[in-house]
Amino acid sequence: MTQMEVRGLMFDPYTNAYIVILRDDGNTEMLPIWVGKPEAHAISRAIEGTPEERPMTHDLMKTVLDTADAKVISVVVTDLKENTYYAKIHLSYGDSEYSVDSRPSDAIALALRAQAPIFVTDEVLQKQSTEQFDRWLENLKPEDFGKYEA
Amino acid sequence: MDNDLVKLMVQGVWADANPNAESQVVLLQDEDKSATLPIWVGIAEGTAIRLAVEGIAPPRPLSHDLLRNLTEHLGLKVSKVVVTDLKSNTYFASIYLSSPQSEVTIDSRPSDAIALALRTRSPIYATREVLSKQPPETVDPWLKRLHSKESGGTA
Repeated sequence: MTQMEVRGLMFDPYTNAYIVILRDDGNTEMLPIWVGKPEAHAISRAIEGTPEERPMTHDLMKTVLDTADAKVISVVVTDLKENTYYAKIHLSYGDSEYSVDSRPSDAIALALRAQAPIFVTDEVLQKQSTEQFDRWLENLKPEDFGKYEA
Repeated sequence: MDNDLVKLMVQGVWADANPNAESQVVLLQDEDKSATLPIWVGIAEGTAIRLAVEGIAPPRPLSHDLLRNLTEHLGLKVSKVVVTDLKSNTYFASIYLSSPQSEVTIDSRPSDAIALALRTRSPIYATREVLSKQPPETVDPWLKRLHSKESGGTA
């Protein structure tokens, strides 16, 4: 497993979705994950640290965890099957630990709010098809950079 | 049951009358259809509510499915959700969570509270105060749409 950080959030006009860019500390590994607009918004608000007037969905998740004195130990992007990424949220609660199935977007949005580390398994890093990302990079204009930088 | 609360059911999720609006409208009514509460929600929250109303289970857990799963893993039960207030066009809600030890109330947007209540089969209430605070001009057009049934409750 490699610990990764959210390094950026970009808009992909080809799929009309957003891309969360995860990178490791040494910049040797990168994982782009395509997410929907509301999830991208949830992630960007956590990166920017902008407080919302009202609790958003992932803030509510964090409040529910706090209510039960549960802690997010880590989130892990565990698998990639047919272009879908899978993640697990590892929780400690009382004397036990639980793993909850999640989309990576929700897991990342929650991890950022809980200040929990984000990991990606070696299998996923090897499996990832960068084809889509390469094509998107080829079409990228210089002015697109910086707009969504974390 | 608390006399200040009215139990409501989700009648459906409608597109906003303004086609450019990035919001949808969740319509709630009490059992004898004497109280109606339209609540404007984001598209993601509207979709989360509509899927639950229609009983559609998405292949991967959406945010509110995850919220329900977290709640269940932690042994918490959603005893009810209540739309509690309306201040400067913003509705406020509370989620009542009970554990074997205690009951706590957490602050929520009504959209999240309703999306969670539908997934945990928990009752949805509004305070009489909220229902009476609504200006008639926000309710009447939706009553008409409900009666005409032309939109069929889908966004």
